[in-house]
Amino acid sequence: MLRALGRRTWPPVLAILIALVIWQVTVWSGWKPSYVLPGPAAVFEALGEQLATEKFWIAIATTMSRALVGFGISLALGTAIGLAVSSSRVLRAAVGSLITGLQTMPSIAWFPFAILLFGITEQAITFVVVLGAAPSIANGVISGTDDVPPQLVRTAQVLGARGASLYRHVMVPAALPAYLAGLKQGWAFAWRSLMAGELLVIIAARPSLGVQLQFFREFADTAGLISTMIVILVVGVLVDRVFSVMANRVRANRGLGVVRL
Amino acid sequence: MTSSEVAIRVDSVSKSFGRAGREVAALEKVSLDVAEGELVCILGQSGCGKSTLLNLVAGLEKPTSGSIDLGGRRVGMMFQDANLFPWLTVRGNIDLALRLSGVPREARAERIDELLDIVRLPGTGSRRPHELSGGMRQRVALARSLAQDCQILLMDEPFASLDAITRDAMHDQTERIWAERGLTILFVTHNVRESARLGDRVIVMAPGPGRISHDVRNSLPRPRRMEDVAVATAAGALHDALQLRDDEAARA
Repeated sequence: MLRALGRRTWPPVLAILIALVIWQVTVWSGWKPSYVLPGPAAVFEALGEQLATEKFWIAIATTMSRALVGFGISLALGTAIGLAVSSSRVLRAAVGSLITGLQTMPSIAWFPFAILLFGITEQAITFVVVLGAAPSIANGVISGTDDVPPQLVRTAQVLGARGASLYRHVMVPAALPAYLAGLKQGWAFAWRSLMAGELLVIIAARPSLGVQLQFFREFADTAGLISTMIVILVVGVLVDRVFSVMANRVRANRGLGVVRL
Repeated sequence: MTSSEVAIRVDSVSKSFGRAGREVAALEKVSLDVAEGELVCILGQSGCGKSTLLNLVAGLEKPTSGSIDLGGRRVGMMFQDANLFPWLTVRGNIDLALRLSGVPREARAERIDELLDIVRLPGTGSRRPHELSGGMRQRVALARSLAQDCQILLMDEPFASLDAITRDAMHDQTERIWAERGLTILFVTHNVRESARLGDRVIVMAPGPGRISHDVRNSLPRPRRMEDVAVATAAGALHDALQLRDDEAARA
């Protein structure tokens, strides 16, 4: 058990060590002065200091609650749109390619419009986060139901499943792995859009991870800046892990290949 | 097994696929009566429309012309792949079939145990489809079809991808359940020996377009075995019937 854990732990640990070494060597080479590019030691010291401040936890709470609200709305909206489009030929013809189009649109391009619509407000941020995440989730539903093996559908029809019961008992459960993949991608888009939003839509007296980034840049505090970026990366990866674990559990239950974490 | 009542009446059914003007005829004026309790094998090479005929009887497709009358009998169907739902356990798969045919929740658990006993798979209920062998999966599929309380069972090459030993065991089980339940079975196969082993009647089909070329009665006593000399002889005759048709085709 411990050995198995060790076998799975050492590759990422080694990768992080190599990255730290490259970073440290770059600093030592004197390519940039150390106040512009501090070394790992200085950054982790800054991270430690940050974690000890109340402001940091308020910032992370603000950011996470925005992420939760934005992703929650995307989940509801994306799922509903996905189900509607996958079950209606007319809707698919009308908006099917539009959904994919929205997915390729960089979410930062929505911000000027969102700010004109909603002003410098929470709604502006949520609006863009939802536009970033919902299409991926909808596409997960659509590709999931499209890829249900036709022989399973026939079998279900022979068993007497029609219309809504066919959807409920066969199409939806069959589409679950693709749906989870859509959620995972949706989360990645939501998190990216949120960071862009927090840099562009700065609401007074509301500290957030994005505001922290701006703050450290203005004070030319690179160590603080990089430590905040590490926090953003870690949060993004941790949430992604949650979806990966869920997806693997579902896949393992069905005898499908499991993606090693 | 010899009831005179007709369970399946196929009346000059034609079926073509494709767009108007470019249709390909899969079946042309096929007529067939199957008596209640009969086990009828449909034998033919691929492309002769035997699966199409089965899909039409199952109601999965509509005939282009002609009619099919089952007298209101319930139909179950098995395919070459077991097509178990991979997200459900063995119990879950049978439970869904019961549920879709309107069996109330309280009655379902007991019925599932009963059905697993019938296909000789007690104690496997909590397993997942991917944990089962091919033969076990087909037995679950059989239990799932029986869960619908069907009177007619359509089997589309259900044992074609099983090894010979498992297939022989499945023949025995199919025969036993057919006799116990008084089912009417339409069994599609391209295996001549299998049709001689199982069928009361063997319908030989010919391609281009699909039609019935021979209707052979097979009254060998049961139980039969694949290795029986009589079965081999019957298979030989059926083979000749298939061959004869090929010669006709070559001459035409």
